[in-house]
Amino acid sequence: MHLGEFDVFGATHPGKKREQNEDQFLVATLHKAMEVRQTSLDSADALAQSTRSDAHLLVVADGVGGHAGGRVASGTAVEALTEYIAQTTGVSYGLDVALEEELLGQLERAVRHSHARIKSHFPGAGTGPATTLTMVTLTWPRAYVVHVGDSRGYYLRKGRLKQFTQDQTMAELLIDEGVMSEGQADGTNLHNVLASAVGGTIKPVISLLDLQDEDWIVLCSDGLTKHVEDDVMRATLESSASAEAACESLIQQALDGGGSDNITAVVARCSASG
Amino acid sequence: MIQKKICMVGVFGTGKTSLVRQFVHSKFSERYLSTVGVKIDRKSVEVDGEDVNLLLWDLAGRDDVEDIQTSYLRGAAGVLYVVDGTRRETFDQAFELRDVVRGAIGHVPAVIALNKSDLRDAWALAPADMTRLEEDGWNAIATSAKDGIGVEEAFRRLALATVRTA
Repeated sequence: MHLGEFDVFGATHPGKKREQNEDQFLVATLHKAMEVRQTSLDSADALAQSTRSDAHLLVVADGVGGHAGGRVASGTAVEALTEYIAQTTGVSYGLDVALEEELLGQLERAVRHSHARIKSHFPGAGTGPATTLTMVTLTWPRAYVVHVGDSRGYYLRKGRLKQFTQDQTMAELLIDEGVMSEGQADGTNLHNVLASAVGGTIKPVISLLDLQDEDWIVLCSDGLTKHVEDDVMRATLESSASAEAACESLIQQALDGGGSDNITAVVARCSASG
Repeated sequence: MIQKKICMVGVFGTGKTSLVRQFVHSKFSERYLSTVGVKIDRKSVEVDGEDVNLLLWDLAGRDDVEDIQTSYLRGAAGVLYVVDGTRRETFDQAFELRDVVRGAIGHVPAVIALNKSDLRDAWALAPADMTRLEEDGWNAIATSAKDGIGVEEAFRRLALATVRTA
């Protein structure tokens, strides 16, 4: 039975230009286990194995809103998300088709719970602090994704790096709707205006990926991708011996490239095992 | 509320994502972005007097029929096969995809969307192809994700079939 193993590491840095770090991240392991203390069953060892399952929760949030608002928004979102998931871990972590949709529903509800918490902190007409939120739950062999805003998710497989999230910015929205071309959008600041945010107008996107042995997953705030091109990210992951080494190297490269914004990365290396 | 998982199946570029987008959001984009993994949307429809929540699993289109990841299909109550009516080969590939799907999850209700029907000048399907679909028992409908023609009907037909099969 393949259970999969994940080497996961996250880090954040305020960058060189900002006094506050408005990014937040979370790396957590979710356990659901039954410990067989005594039984007359012959298959006790196998039973103990089958009733233990783990999932890894990875989150990156990038707050917006100025003053202390952005940091409070991203912090509130990640806290509320964590609380919700901790209170509702009734689902089994593992590839069970019947429970897969329940898990996806739970993850989306967790994000909406975070949204409601920020709204209650900052009541108003939707102009208060808000945050991006990109969350991946890894449970072999799947990655379940809930994405809001413009923090990004990538995976590297067999030398090819692919972005599995689409930036929810006004630029992307207007390009999608044919209002402007990519060239026209590049001449504006619309790439920096969120079209969907937790605490603002929220449009969560739910997706999933099948994982393969030796895949890498990266979640990051835009402070990383402003300075680290895809080819550099790919080469960094391929040359790293661990998730920690890859994460620290990516952040250092963003700093070397200027560090104009807060920088956050969460990196996971997947391996089939068992 | 009844919940039904629907899988969108077709080779790359047939318009699976655009059909879902038109059905769920009443929008169309000329921009092509290939789907990575599976994107999940939902929409409720009323069929036979019952509200049915459709969970739409938009599977990434692949170059080859054999590349379809069958683990995504498990638990599907229905399949919407999508053909690009301007690319004749995608029509033949739908038959091969159906074999793969049936091999993975058995017979489930299905509808085949002959998409891009707005591109009349480039249409590559002949009347004989329609006859072949009919003789083979397909529930076929011409759709245009761009204009919205046939889109609602395709999903409604499939929703109805899944409810009546249950």
